Amino acid sequence: MAFSTAMDKSLFKYIWQHSKREQLLICAVVLLSLPFYYLSLDLPRRIVNEAIQGGAFKHGNETVPFLAISFDLPTWLGGAHINLFDGLTVGRIELLLGLSLSFLFFVLINGAFKYWINLAKGALGERMLRRMRFELFNLVLRFSPEYLKQAKSAETATIIKDEVEPIGGFIGDAFILPMFLGAQAATALMFIILQSTWLGLMAAGIVLIQIIIIPRLRRKLLVLGRKRQLVSRRFAGRIGEVFDGQQAVRLHNTEDWERADIGDRLYSLFDIRYRIYKRKFVVKFLNNLLAQMTPFLFYAIGGYFAVTGRMDIGQLVAVIAAYRDLPPPLKELIDWDQQRLDVQVKYDQVVQQFAPEHLLPEPVSTISLDAKIEFGSPLKIDDLSISDAQSLPILSKISFDVPLHQRIAVTGQSLQTSAFVDALSQPEQLAIGSIMAGNVELTSLPRAIRARKIGCVNADPILFPGTIRDNLVYGLKARQIKDGEETERLKIKRQTEARKTGNPLVKADDEWVDYELAGVSSSEELDRILLEQLHAIGMGEDIYRFGQYQSFDPERYPNFADRLIKARELLYQRLEQDQNTHLVEFFDCEKYNTQATIAENVLFGVPTKNSLQGAGLAEDDGFRKVLRKEKLFDTLVDLGANIAETMVELFRDLPPGHPLFEQFSFVSADELEEYATIVQHWNNRRRNVNNAARTQLIGLALNYIEPRHRFGLLDETLKERLVQTRVAFRETLEESGSNSIEFYDRNEICSAAPLRDNILFGKINLVIADAQRLVANAIHIVIEELELRHPVERLGLNHQVGVSGRLLTAQQRVGVDLVRNLVKRPEILIVDRAFSAFASPQQEILRAFLQQKSKEFNATLIMVITEQSGLSGFDFVVNLSTNEAHVEAVPYATQLDNVAPLIAG
Amino acid sequence: MSEGMPKTLEAEVSALQRIPMFQGVDAKRLKLLAFASERISFSVGQKLFSQGDPSDFAYVILEGSADIFINGHEGMVKVAQFTEHQMVGEMGILTRNPRSATVIAASPMTVLRINKDVFFELTSHFPQMGMAVMVELAVRLEQSNARLVEFLTK
Repeated sequence: MAFSTAMDKSLFKYIWQHSKREQLLICAVVLLSLPFYYLSLDLPRRIVNEAIQGGAFKHGNETVPFLAISFDLPTWLGGAHINLFDGLTVGRIELLLGLSLSFLFFVLINGAFKYWINLAKGALGERMLRRMRFELFNLVLRFSPEYLKQAKSAETATIIKDEVEPIGGFIGDAFILPMFLGAQAATALMFIILQSTWLGLMAAGIVLIQIIIIPRLRRKLLVLGRKRQLVSRRFAGRIGEVFDGQQAVRLHNTEDWERADIGDRLYSLFDIRYRIYKRKFVVKFLNNLLAQMTPFLFYAIGGYFAVTGRMDIGQLVAVIAAYRDLPPPLKELIDWDQQRLDVQVKYDQVVQQFAPEHLLPEPVSTISLDAKIEFGSPLKIDDLSISDAQSLPILSKISFDVPLHQRIAVTGQSLQTSAFVDALSQPEQLAIGSIMAGNVELTSLPRAIRARKIGCVNADPILFPGTIRDNLVYGLKARQIKDGEETERLKIKRQTEARKTGNPLVKADDEWVDYELAGVSSSEELDRILLEQLHAIGMGEDIYRFGQYQSFDPERYPNFADRLIKARELLYQRLEQDQNTHLVEFFDCEKYNTQATIAENVLFGVPTKNSLQGAGLAEDDGFRKVLRKEKLFDTLVDLGANIAETMVELFRDLPPGHPLFEQFSFVSADELEEYATIVQHWNNRRRNVNNAARTQLIGLALNYIEPRHRFGLLDETLKERLVQTRVAFRETLEESGSNSIEFYDRNEICSAAPLRDNILFGKINLVIADAQRLVANAIHIVIEELELRHPVERLGLNHQVGVSGRLLTAQQRVGVDLVRNLVKRPEILIVDRAFSAFASPQQEILRAFLQQKSKEFNATLIMVITEQSGLSGFDFVVNLSTNEAHVEAVPYATQLDNVAPLIAG
Repeated sequence: MSEGMPKTLEAEVSALQRIPMFQGVDAKRLKLLAFASERISFSVGQKLFSQGDPSDFAYVILEGSADIFINGHEGMVKVAQFTEHQMVGEMGILTRNPRSATVIAASPMTVLRINKDVFFELTSHFPQMGMAVMVELAVRLEQSNARLVEFLTK
């Protein structure tokens, strides 16, 4: 798909280029609307004059024609009077009604015009905005590696999101408004000149001065505006940096410095804005002054002429009356000009950021994407030269051959090996040199083909937020495979808009995963392969564990749901056989579960809405009503006060931020004093404790678990009453038809709860030593026995990896990246020190696995290794330095070192 | 409201107060120590820990008793028994060495399991507690010195 390559330097050219049709159409409609507008302005006068004051009936006629349509031909056509419609003959009341109704009619017509014009202008602006944003994003994808090193992500994001926003708002008015207002102002000026040439020329002179002076004064404003934009963009960038670097900030305790820095930046933002204001309002003042000069001159000079009799008074009055129509459009025009300048500045800044020198050239290739290309042998590197940002050579004129379809170790300094890996993994970006695989020149291979054939794994992989599966299949999503589900009507609407704005016609939630590339035909098979490979690289247990903490929709997988309920029953039987049922306190809708919090006991289910989770429950109106009805409200407040009091007693002497606080306290350090006051008031005959404070206390009480916290706050009566509240709360929810809680039911799967909790259907008894491990084992055995392991692991693929994969460990991230590459079945797999995060036995296992896999698929493995890790399993070794490369075949004896036992692992 | 309820936490505090190492420490601090620890139970024969395990916890016995074993040449040898209001495993968390013995519940036990990190957080933040530990260790050193003298002069 071809998207435009760079943005036009001139904003107006850019707008015109992409919206001339719409601009012209809106302009035409505006023109068309004008006669109706003037008619509606004229009608009130006619209603008063002709109908109410009876002007039309002056000559004694009882009736007049209404709605007659006639016109005079101009003199050069003979000047004849043509009657198209003689009109209806009406009396005075009928005329009044008729004129009033026509007034109403024109009001409606004008309203309709206005509606259409506003809508069209709005849509036009928004479409241009969409186009602009999309094009900018498209340019981001083409940023050169050098530029990516200096550009900040937060700045780029703020450009695309915020900086172009006002441009979009301006686009609808870019051409229409000045034309329209200019015409209005010119008409008014013309009219004045017709009345009195001298006064008219005077007015024109002042307008001329305004037009010349004001923009000059505004030049400084432009400079300031540009500065402001840069400073605020850097401000956004800085916030992004501090955000990403929080860890370093905390580690070095540099919060104060960071605060000072942000404070400075905010000051300079204020200062620039203040200077803009000063300038802007001075200009405004001058502008108003100039505008008032004209009437001053009219009164003074025109008045003088009139008094001295050199000018007709009527003429002067007409001129002054006509002048009233000049300033408003002029003022708006000047405002428009101001806005134009603002927007132009913004646009220039944006375009500069995306200038062609920051971009990679558009790839040119003559090779068809569907071409069947086979890499031959050897891999022939010729004259490969790479320099760093300061033009110092990293690799200089390196040339060597090494057979492909082999296992090749690369050694050398990391600077050299990384440069080599970059060149080999993205040869299309290489500036100098040539890389051939047999007869195929890799540097001119289209990226689409290269991406299929060459995989690359390094120690710091980039993962995107989403599930593990999303990340694993990321490399299979190079192009849309099949349209997703969508109604024809929506599709047409969506695609029409996309065409209008140069956006892609395909959706991200269409089918993109290329199963064929992975050598499978369905998502089930793909999952199987993904899991096999995850197991092979030692992530099987992780995925299995993730799977146990996933929830799933039983309606989509009814079969699996049934098997899980079986697992639940089997687990119970097993625990019973082993006399281990005391390890778990099972859910029972008629019993208080002592191992669960008070909230969990009252809910007896899992909230599906965020508002009922955690402290939110204490704020829920329905819940509070039930508590009041069950007379538990004050009891729970009391309980909360008791907890708060103990917290204050226990934690008051610890400094805020002490690890024990975070681990054990019910309240955060910041809130401790607040709670101390609340508790004091509460104990003091419950005075001054407002509703919010009571809610806070209930919030504390809801988290209480007797065996864990051991304050002795829950007796049997209270437990019973809480179970009653459970019933009452459930009834209220069911009456109101709310499904905000999914209740526990022995015979159903709770889709809001994780799979493990669904099998367990209870809470592990915290009081018994080792209960956790024993129960986990029992669950594991049940899962194995019912052959649920594979489906559980498939669920594990739904585990969220978090922003940049931060919810995974470094090893897991590398593992995901490795499988993401393997699943594409690349012909060349490059591994660049990817396994440094792993313990060395694990590194050996991974290495042996990759060597074996590459043999199996007759693929090439190119692996950067450190000196001490040895050459076992490799066929060749390439030693890189800045000026040369040595290639050696690895002796057979070395190849066999340690290999055999590891493959078995 | 909860007059009739056992204040378990309070009971644990008085148990802690009987431990020589915590004598003289404010009840308030001991309450925090107890709160930040877990009350768990072991059945007869269940291991608290095994010789060679990493030393993560100290245990205060609230109810029941435990046998201490050391791996000898001919299997495990019982060397001591600990009962109520005694502490086991504290040396391991202080020296950070692996467990030097195996401890097995001799009768149904309830213990207060004190996490190593919590213990260090509290002793380092409240000098009084650190002091108490020091005194206790000094007393033990003195005792073993006396025993050594006794042994040598026998």
